[in-house]
Amino acid sequence: MQEEDDEYVDKNEIIIRNYRTSDYQATLEILRQLHDTYDIGLNEQRWKESSGLRQFKPNLKRITLIAEYKLNGEVVGMGMLEAVKNNLGQYIGYLDNWATKKEYIGKRVGEILAKRAIYILKSWGCESVRINIGYNADKKLINVIGKVGFNPILIVLEKKITDED
Amino acid sequence: MVDPKNSTLLEEKHIAEICMVYVLYFDEAQGHIPLLIFPDDKYKEDKKFMRPIKYHSIWFLSSDDLSALDHIDLEYKGFTYFGKKILTKSKRKKRRAGLEEETPETIVIIVSLPNDIEIFGDGLIRKLTETIQDKYDEQLYKIIESEIAKEQIIKTEKIKTCIQEGTEIKEELRTLITEITEDYFDTVIKQKDATSIKQQKAISFLSLIGHDVSHIISGVSDFSFSNIKLFDPSKTDKTELAVKAPLSISSIHIIEDSKELEIIVENKTDKEYNNVRVKITHVKEFFEKEIMDQLIDIWFQQEELLFISPILPHISEYLFFIIDDKNKDKLLSKRIDINLLT
Repeated sequence: MQEEDDEYVDKNEIIIRNYRTSDYQATLEILRQLHDTYDIGLNEQRWKESSGLRQFKPNLKRITLIAEYKLNGEVVGMGMLEAVKNNLGQYIGYLDNWATKKEYIGKRVGEILAKRAIYILKSWGCESVRINIGYNADKKLINVIGKVGFNPILIVLEKKITDED
Repeated sequence: MVDPKNSTLLEEKHIAEICMVYVLYFDEAQGHIPLLIFPDDKYKEDKKFMRPIKYHSIWFLSSDDLSALDHIDLEYKGFTYFGKKILTKSKRKKRRAGLEEETPETIVIIVSLPNDIEIFGDGLIRKLTETIQDKYDEQLYKIIESEIAKEQIIKTEKIKTCIQEGTEIKEELRTLITEITEDYFDTVIKQKDATSIKQQKAISFLSLIGHDVSHIISGVSDFSFSNIKLFDPSKTDKTELAVKAPLSISSIHIIEDSKELEIIVENKTDKEYNNVRVKITHVKEFFEKEIMDQLIDIWFQQEELLFISPILPHISEYLFFIIDDKNKDKLLSKRIDINLLT
């Protein structure tokens, strides 16, 4: 048990802060790693320096959180959270592009990030938080997320729009 | 080039187009009577000028009604008339029973400005009223006495002295109004937010009527239509040394795919901002319509924020404001014309 605890990163060793344009390269690296594993549809041309900035547009708020390792200033994790106003006027929170640097996977960096994200979404008036996961996602991943209170509620069906449509 | 011989006439014409000041009093026998008109008393006889002055609602409100308001404004035929009523000391023998010599004089000061530069009226009427009340509280009744005395057919030595004394005070008052007005226009533009829409509207108007605003670009001007210096070249250094804007727009561009306008703003200071309101609006059929009204509870030091507004069909101009939600100070304002963005 002691050995397992040693593997976890202490929350005091991690600084959770908002994204800055200087984080562009580090976040791109993390997103590449995530894309290689889960094919998140990353288009590098579209992930610009400004993409992770706190964003405000009508009926949408977005912030990208960065987990920084206090000791060396390394960006070890990231996650975008959005609050979207639905047709009923309710704000629904979404966690997107949630990723941890390979070397820090399983060390609870994601959990520290998620706790802060839910706190922020609550302050934005969100009544619930959703995570979109691929239909064929790893069951282990769904179990991990389920442990912290996320239950499946929707099945989203998608059709790719082609030139013939 | 303007003929210097005609420059005085031109100057007067331009001042009259920009700003007129009326000092009036309530005469117990004749009603609303002008004491002095800046730039020239000749406008007293001009019904076009005097109609809104005589029927301005300032006359019909008591001091109690006015206590909650700084001034009363009337819009009439493209001009805004800022009116303020004050009571000054008197030793004049009144011409109606029941009024004592000490009964205060009712003085009304009205400043008229074209609607396009009405942004300046608020400050000017306040400055004029405060100064006139401060310096002429015990002398204005002498001008009134002098004006009444001028109507006497037979002018005794005493009446002549009264007229002369009143005329001298009146000329001093005119000089004071000239100085205040010039000084006010000299400095006011710099003190306000130079990027505000109203400000730009005012500058456009002044340029259109031929007023020299070239100082803002050239820094030095050898000749001006009038001696009202809107942008005093001698003060340009101060502007350059002024504290940088705390919030500044880092970039503005159009996202072609989604037809959206992307504005990035940076908090350049080393302090957090709390409760800042960001608004994006556009003007359609003379009405300002809101696209975004966003309260930012915390804006971290050095942080850049991204604001995205939809681009609406046939709307090319958008107004972007950042306001301190507590004291309503404007921290940043910018007019964005998407046709000028590359």
